[in-house]
Amino acid sequence: MQRILNALLQFRNPILYIFLLGISFSFSFNQSPFHEYNIQKYGFFLSSKLFDYKDAVSSYLDLKIINQQLLKENEQLKRIELNSNNIPLYPLALKPPRRFPFKLKRANVIKNSFQNQRNFLILDIGAENGVHPEMGVISNNGILGVVHSVSKNYANVISILHQDLKINVRTTKSAAFGSLVWSGKNPLEFIVDDIVSNANINVGDTLITGGMSSYFPLGIPIGKISKLNKIQGNGYYAVEATLFNDPSQIYYAFVLENLDAQELKSLQKNIPQ
Amino acid sequence: MKSFSAGSIISFVVLVLGQVLLFNHLHIFGSINPMLYLLFFIFYRFESNQTVLILLSFLLGFFIDFLSQSGGAHTIATLTIGFVRPLIIRYSFGVTMETPQSYFSDSRTLNKIIFLILLTVFHHTLYFTLVYFSWDALLLIAKNALFTSLFSLILMGIILNFYPNRK
Repeated sequence: MQRILNALLQFRNPILYIFLLGISFSFSFNQSPFHEYNIQKYGFFLSSKLFDYKDAVSSYLDLKIINQQLLKENEQLKRIELNSNNIPLYPLALKPPRRFPFKLKRANVIKNSFQNQRNFLILDIGAENGVHPEMGVISNNGILGVVHSVSKNYANVISILHQDLKINVRTTKSAAFGSLVWSGKNPLEFIVDDIVSNANINVGDTLITGGMSSYFPLGIPIGKISKLNKIQGNGYYAVEATLFNDPSQIYYAFVLENLDAQELKSLQKNIPQ
Repeated sequence: MKSFSAGSIISFVVLVLGQVLLFNHLHIFGSINPMLYLLFFIFYRFESNQTVLILLSFLLGFFIDFLSQSGGAHTIATLTIGFVRPLIIRYSFGVTMETPQSYFSDSRTLNKIIFLILLTVFHHTLYFTLVYFSWDALLLIAKNALFTSLFSLILMGIILNFYPNRK
């Protein structure tokens, strides 16, 4: 306290000067709109520059939070999108809409591979977050795979870049079902098996999930048909497809939880062999 | 250390009234009004209290602004002169044992002239800068400051000649 007082006494002249200068400036601006306007002009210029820098810094620092918010929003939008895909197949005009049994969980992809013939992904959510084996995993524009095994905090996912994973697909125009398998070379190139040759499909048709498994609901867009060959004497098409986005370059994923999975399983058990 | 005396109060009042009633209405060559109240910074003794001088210079400028309805430029310019006066004294008279106790106790004419010029030119430049307060008026500021300083200096020189040097 003593030192502060000493300092104040030592610098009393500059302090007094600055104080009185402030008073006289305020007098001056109160009396003259011209001075007020000019000072405000410079003040505005200064403060806008300052806030520009502040905004640049703070928006950079906020990127992570914004990312999180966007992911959350994406999750909601994804849910709505998947839900709306459901409607055209079951147009129940006056009845309550069909129940949509899928729930979404956000996840980060922490390991992804595409060099092998059988690739796996690792997600950063696990049994503690309610992830179980045999859940579907999708990205924002396509599907990623199926959960294979889970630990407490992580989940191991069979990538669609895995030659043994077959995914039930159809095109948007016809209801012809087939199964999508990776050709094993380029992460974007796939083969669709088992489409019968009388189905009405063309090159460029969009492939969506067929909704015939408990992993994925109907209508998630996957890719486009890039080549179409009729195999002689076989009755099937040989279809090649290209994915919409590269599953090897995905950092965020959504795990689909089918609320009816147990029910479907128990039903299948009851079918007499 | 002497603080302000009755003499400085009288000079304060006389200078404010003289400036407001007389010198602000001279209009030499149409627009030049010399500012004679700067004599206050010459009459005020060099070794007197600096803090009191800052307060007095603020009051001086304030009264002149108040009585002549000007925007506040007198206050700011005069206050600043009051604050930097020790620097001007040191620069014009030198930091030696010979540093005078007041303007009139020194006999070196050249140093006195430098002191007067520095004081006046600095004050006038600041004053006109604050009055015009725009980069576009730079030439106008320089012109006005120069001519008004000239006339202020001439009049101040005449008035100061009536006072004898006191040791």
